[in-house]
Amino acid sequence: MSDDGGLWLLLLAGPVGATGLYWGLYRHYRNTDKSHAFERETAVEAKPVTGWDGKVDEVKGTQKTRIPGDNVREYRKRVQRVQGDSG
Amino acid sequence: MSSTHRPPPPPPPPVPSYAGPGSPQDVPPPANSFPIDPATLPGPIRDEVLAADPIALDTSAAELKDGLNRCPKCGATDIRHKPGSDLLICQYCRNQWHGVRVEEEFGLGTGIDQLKGRVIASGARQIEADAASLMSFKCTGCGAEVTVNTESTMTARCHWCRHVFGVNEQVANGAVPDAVLPFHISKDDAVARIRQFVHKRRMFALKAFKDEFTPENVIGVYLPYMIVDGNTSVDVAGQGEIETRRYTRGSGNKKKTYYDADVYKVDRHVDFTVDDLPLESSTKRGNLDARANTNNIINTILPFDTKNAVKWNASYLAGFTSEKRDRDVSHLHPRLEDQLLSIARAQVEASVGQYNRGVRWEHERLDVHGTRWVSMYLPVWLYSYHQASSKGGLLHYIAVNGRTGETMGSVPVQQWKLILAALTVGSILEGIAIWIIGASS
Repeated sequence: MSDDGGLWLLLLAGPVGATGLYWGLYRHYRNTDKSHAFERETAVEAKPVTGWDGKVDEVKGTQKTRIPGDNVREYRKRVQRVQGDSG
Repeated sequence: MSSTHRPPPPPPPPVPSYAGPGSPQDVPPPANSFPIDPATLPGPIRDEVLAADPIALDTSAAELKDGLNRCPKCGATDIRHKPGSDLLICQYCRNQWHGVRVEEEFGLGTGIDQLKGRVIASGARQIEADAASLMSFKCTGCGAEVTVNTESTMTARCHWCRHVFGVNEQVANGAVPDAVLPFHISKDDAVARIRQFVHKRRMFALKAFKDEFTPENVIGVYLPYMIVDGNTSVDVAGQGEIETRRYTRGSGNKKKTYYDADVYKVDRHVDFTVDDLPLESSTKRGNLDARANTNNIINTILPFDTKNAVKWNASYLAGFTSEKRDRDVSHLHPRLEDQLLSIARAQVEASVGQYNRGVRWEHERLDVHGTRWVSMYLPVWLYSYHQASSKGGLLHYIAVNGRTGETMGSVPVQQWKLILAALTVGSILEGIAIWIIGASS
């Protein structure tokens, strides 16, 4: 790759722009991604969150910017369920 | 960075040493079932087994059981909802009165943190399989039979003597809820909101949709919901990472960024109560598969000010259509659990802010200490458009919350126009990119 190789990435501008525009407009019209935001819109009274944190390992020299499988904001993505009392 | 706040949550209860029929390891039998045929039991035991289950909250109104809603002043039955208010108005003597708010009447807003077990209001109880949708009344005015189809309507007028009937008795077909939230948004207001919503989605809208667009055809519908209060604890466990070093290696175009991080085991526990979480209690409306329907549109306009719901009186539904509940508490419980877990995950997010490389939750545990279920009819203005296709087509909704006015909709798109616009913009961007590359080489 030559010194100005980064410039060739600009060639992706067309396809990326076209796809982004299509999906942006499609969602604006069809609103397929909308639903009741019950996490924010429900009256919740929570006691202070308690917890425990302990260092278990170190990672050296990774190129990933986030932890693999980061789901801290994906509230609706269920993970392995430990059986509790379902009431 | 490590800090100890609290011991880790206790492990799940140990598996009991006994197993087999009757143990907690066995699949529980269906509700209201009995292992022996009750007919073979001695009379007193049979009577006990077959007796009705207690209903924790009785919201049925004894004074309305004959299907006639009478004006408390003159006794006339032609009662309607006064638009824009929670008032009922007598069409004969113009007397107005206010329905009783269920929040105060049944103490629904209080004691959520003390809830234990499942408290089910009488209008939210189990639907019996053989309960009919068609109900007939004997008119007390003239003796004629009047039939009401509870699938779509809750009031009817005796065509002989003009008495107005409402379905008020809480029969076990799920049609009569505990409470109703009357429409506040008028039809004209709803039409204006739908027009405004579509106005900003005209350019790529399907031509046939635009040609046939008549928002005046909007219909006021009362949709069935379960309103749930819950008292819950959730434990989540996983791993989080904190960046300790960031550095680059290589030079020029080969320059790459590397990260070092500390990995932590993270446990969190939160106790919380939710107040008035709405869940669709009809199978059709609860199916939110956006590939097959647009019910997510109606889901989006939630929530409603359910605190202002009034005790059920069919007169509020005069002039509107309604849909019948066909889901029981047991059907909706998995959905409730899913939403409670999601709420808990949102609640604990602020407590893991120090993990600047994110957290991967791996396990979650839900303990539902208590829930309270109340069935309600909530007001929605619905405009619908059927987009035909060879695969059966798609029904597009534009919905207006009948209380808050929140509007959401699905406007069908003219695909060729949208693709052409995307390609045009893409080509222009590509042209600029090629020009920049050409100029710099």
